[in-house]
Amino acid sequence: MKKMTKSSIALSAVAILGLAGCADAGSETIVIGSQAYYSNEIVAEAYALVLEDAGFQVERQFSLGQRDVYVPAIVAGEVDLFPEYSGNLLQYFNPEASETSAEDVYNALVAALPAGLTALTLSGASDQDSYNVTKEFATENNLVSIGDLAALANVTLGGPPELTGRPYGPQGLLTTYGVTVAFEATGETTVESLVAGLIDMANVYSADPRIQQLGLVTLKDPQGLFLASNLVPIASGAVNADARALINAISLAMSAEDLVAMNVRSVEEQLSAAVIARDWLVSKGLLN
Amino acid sequence: MLSIAEIWQWLFDVTNWEGRYGLVNLFFEHMTLSFSAILIAALIAVPIGVAIGHLGKGEAVVVAISSISRAIPTMGLLFALVMFMGIEFRGFAVTLALVIIAIPPILAGSYAGIKAIPQTISQAAKAQGMTAQQLIWHVELPLSAASIIGGVRIAYIQVVSTVVLAPLIGLGGLGFGIIQGLALRDFAQVTSSALIIVFITILGDRLIGFAQKLTAVKLAAVEIDR
Repeated sequence: MKKMTKSSIALSAVAILGLAGCADAGSETIVIGSQAYYSNEIVAEAYALVLEDAGFQVERQFSLGQRDVYVPAIVAGEVDLFPEYSGNLLQYFNPEASETSAEDVYNALVAALPAGLTALTLSGASDQDSYNVTKEFATENNLVSIGDLAALANVTLGGPPELTGRPYGPQGLLTTYGVTVAFEATGETTVESLVAGLIDMANVYSADPRIQQLGLVTLKDPQGLFLASNLVPIASGAVNADARALINAISLAMSAEDLVAMNVRSVEEQLSAAVIARDWLVSKGLLN
Repeated sequence: MLSIAEIWQWLFDVTNWEGRYGLVNLFFEHMTLSFSAILIAALIAVPIGVAIGHLGKGEAVVVAISSISRAIPTMGLLFALVMFMGIEFRGFAVTLALVIIAIPPILAGSYAGIKAIPQTISQAAKAQGMTAQQLIWHVELPLSAASIIGGVRIAYIQVVSTVVLAPLIGLGGLGFGIIQGLALRDFAQVTSSALIIVFITILGDRLIGFAQKLTAVKLAAVEIDR
């Protein structure tokens, strides 16, 4: 019991010191977070480089895992700036959200964000769910858009286990496009399973370099089955107007192709996020 | 917060038990993967363990294998084997990974079981004119059965809890509910699936423990005779 009291005193001391540290840092240092996802880290690095270049104090808190882990940290004010994806973040705050277009999703996200957090300028670059088939399968069956699948029987869709529970999963395919599919939870091996022919169609993120590398065909989604998920910086009050302007410039400059190209460099050339982000910023004239 | 009522509700919802990824199917997949791996591992490890114990040679191998096995990152092994063999052979790759995990405890149990037999017993058997084969079949195996089953018991616990990772590489099993539920933030599903896995692990452990007790009775009788 005595031991516990001691350790709890120590703990609260640490907590107080920690809080003091935060309050102190809040006025000067901008804490930038990123997901444990290489593509996200490149964007976070771009934010960091531009802010540092403009004389801001920056602390990198990268690879903070997945949304369940880091969103509470952002809400608690431990992280000030975070590259996010509009659709997926909206779904986090409002699982019932029915918006799908980039603009609607952004507006819904702005409304859904907790007080104290701001969604900065929406980028044209997106990284969202998409349905992909092999080139052979597409030519064989004249596939361009998802609706073309309605003519086929026995289509198997592969994706992460949670796909069955998503609005754009097998159920959504049926109600939006009249397409019936069997589902295989291929998890981390979805792309490999598609190439090996174990499944006919794969749920892959649109900025995944393998779409380009393996020549996969992304089926068009004219009915807006998928909710748009564009890059959007989420900022706390610690990010001032000057800093926001710099980050917004990055959002505006980054296209979907740019994001894919940076991902390809990361996967193929194995370059660090800092190198890739710096090269891109220089090419856009955002950094000397 | 998640309440017990929500877990009950999830568990008693028939739709969660039916279909390709329903609990019934997932349970059978889980058990098929587990038992085939344990069976293959036993077929490999028991003869080797018994041979090493009987001959008294190669003990270092048993020690080395069981210590190395503690350092193997299960998930890494699983992914490495699938990538190496190709996704078409994922079922085989997973089984192989599970066999690798299951071998060390069964090997150690078999070896230790034979080793623990008092030398006087084996010497008495030899003095009766038993051949090496007779000694193994009629004396050493019956006396070490409890220890071998003890090894299988540990292997069962490790394998059943490792199969939980199978959905990551596109196979089923009860881990599906945990991985899907986490992503969907459906904590009733996560907790229910986890509870079922805990239940079958404990149940299997108890059943094998019971078999262990049944076979251990013999050893006690022999010792009383002595």
